[in-house]
Amino acid sequence: MDYFSQAFISAFKLILTLDKELYFVVWTSLKISLASVSLTSILCLPLGILFSLNRFPGKKSLQNILNTLMALPTVVVGLLLFGILGRQGPLGELGLLYTQIAMIIGQCLLIFPIVLNLVIAGANTADPRIASTSIVMGANNFQKNIIFIKEVRFAMMAAIVAAFGRAIGEVGVAMMLGGNIEGYTRTMTTAIALETSKGEFEFALALGILLLLVAYIVNVLLERFNRLNV
Amino acid sequence: MSAAITIKNLSYKYADENIISIDQYEFEDGKSHVLVGPNGSGKTTLLNIMSLLSRPDRGEIALLGEVVNDDNRLSLRKRIGYVQQRPYLFNMTVFDNIAIGLKLRKINKQLRKARTDNIIEQLNIANLRYKRGHELSGGEMQKVALARTLILEPEILMLDEPFTYLDKRFASELENLLCNIRENRSQTVIFSTHDHLRAHLLGDHVCSLINSRLIDESSVNLFHGKYLPDKSVFDTGKIQINIGEREGDINIIAVEPEEIVLSNQSLDSSMRNRFQGYVTGLASHEDRVDVSINAAETFQVMISKNALEELEIDVGSKVWMSFKSSSVKILN
Repeated sequence: MDYFSQAFISAFKLILTLDKELYFVVWTSLKISLASVSLTSILCLPLGILFSLNRFPGKKSLQNILNTLMALPTVVVGLLLFGILGRQGPLGELGLLYTQIAMIIGQCLLIFPIVLNLVIAGANTADPRIASTSIVMGANNFQKNIIFIKEVRFAMMAAIVAAFGRAIGEVGVAMMLGGNIEGYTRTMTTAIALETSKGEFEFALALGILLLLVAYIVNVLLERFNRLNV
Repeated sequence: MSAAITIKNLSYKYADENIISIDQYEFEDGKSHVLVGPNGSGKTTLLNIMSLLSRPDRGEIALLGEVVNDDNRLSLRKRIGYVQQRPYLFNMTVFDNIAIGLKLRKINKQLRKARTDNIIEQLNIANLRYKRGHELSGGEMQKVALARTLILEPEILMLDEPFTYLDKRFASELENLLCNIRENRSQTVIFSTHDHLRAHLLGDHVCSLINSRLIDESSVNLFHGKYLPDKSVFDTGKIQINIGEREGDINIIAVEPEEIVLSNQSLDSSMRNRFQGYVTGLASHEDRVDVSINAAETFQVMISKNALEELEIDVGSKVWMSFKSSSVKILN
C-alpha cells in the first residue's frame, strides 16, 4: 500500500511543484499526440465514410487487413520507420530520426487503422435513411456528406478518443523514433520507461497517474466540443 | 393536359425479379394521384424512382416537362417534395429539421425562421419545436417530415403511405390538407396507400401497381386467380366470377365498385354474377357510402345515400350483389 500511496503523493507533488521540465514533457506528449490524431482524423474521416458508402472490389479483404493492422505493435511501427528514416534508410537524408516529426509520423501510422476502422464501423451502422433524407431535402453531394458526418459525429468522436488514447499512451514509437531526448523528444511514456529502468518506480507511477489525468482532461474537452457542435 | 411526370419504358429489377416495368405512363399536372397496391407491390420503389432518389435500370422519366439527366437531376429534385414512409429526422431540434431544406437552398436566416414558424403554426406542432428528432413518436415524426417538405412548396408532392403512423385526429387533418391542395390545384400530389377507400376519397385519379405494371384502375375489388375458358368464369379459389368469353391467359380482374348493384333479394335480371354476402363495414362520405361486403371474397361497393336508406342495411345485414360479366375489367 505504501508503494501506491507514495506514488499518489509524488504525483500530486509533481503537479503542484510546477516543475518546468515536467510540464515540458507533458506538453511534448500532448502536442505530438494531438498533432498525429488531428492529421489522421482529417484523412480518415472522409476516407472511412467513402469506404463505407461505396462498393468496390476487394473491399472485404481491405477491411480484414485494416482489422489486422489494429493489432500493430508500436515497436514494429517504430522499427519499420527506424529503417526508413535512419541514416542508412531511403529517407535518411531528411534527417528526421529522433525528431518530433518522426514521432508524429510514427503515431499517425499507428493510429491510422484504428481511426479508419472505427469510422467505417460507425458509418456502417449509421441509419441508411440519413443519405436518402438528405437527397430528398435537396442536398448536393458535398452537403450530403457534411450532414452524414454530423449525424454520425458521436461514432467519429469515439474513433478520435480511442486514437488519442492509443497515441498518448504508446511508448514504442516515441522511444525508437524520438530517442527520449531530454527537452526535445521526451514524452510522458518515455519518461516513465526511463524512470522505471532507473528503479524510480514511485516516480514512474506518479508520471503514469499524471498521464491519465491529462488524457482525462483532453477527453472531457473533446466531449464538450462534440456537444457544442450539436 | 400537361404531365407533371411522364414515364417511358421504365424498368427496375431486384434480385433478377422485375419490380417495375412500365411502358408509358403520365401523371397529370395539378391533380391528386393515388398509387394503390398491396404491400410489396413496388409502390415505394416507384416513388423512390420518381422522386429521383433511386435510378431505374432502364427507361426515361420526365419531370415538369424536363427529361431527367445527370445535369438537371439536382435542380429537378429541388422542385419536388417527398415524404418517405418511415421518415428519418436528423439529430437536431424539430425547428432545425423543418428548416434544413431552406438552409440547403441557402435561404437567409430571417426568411428561414419566418417560414419555419409559419409552417409549425399551420401544422399545429408548436409543442414539438424544441424537441429532438429521436424524442418523437411515429406520428409526430410524420408530421415533422410533412412540415419540412411542405415548407419547400414543391411543385410535385409525393408521399409514401402517409397515413401509416398517424393517429385518427392527425390522419383527418392530413386528409383535409390533401383535399385543400386538391381543390386549389396548386400542386401535383402523388401518394401511395393500401387503403382503397381513402384512395377514392382523396384522389382525382387512382392507379394500381400490379405485377410490376402501372394500371389506370383502382385495385378495389381486385381478384387474383385463373380463367376457366370452358365455363367462361374466373376462379379466385373462393368464388367463380362470370366474365364472359375472353381470350388469353387471365390472372387478375377488377370489378368497379360503382358497377355493383345491391339488393335485399336476389335480382331476376340479365346480370350473370349474383352473390350473397353480409355487410362488414359502412363508410359514409359527403355524396356516397362505401359498403364493404364479405361474400367469400371481400367486395367494396359504392352506393348513394338514398340507396342506403332504401336498402335499410347495416353492418351484419345480409345483402345480394349483382354485376354484369361485361363490367369485369381484365387487368392481366
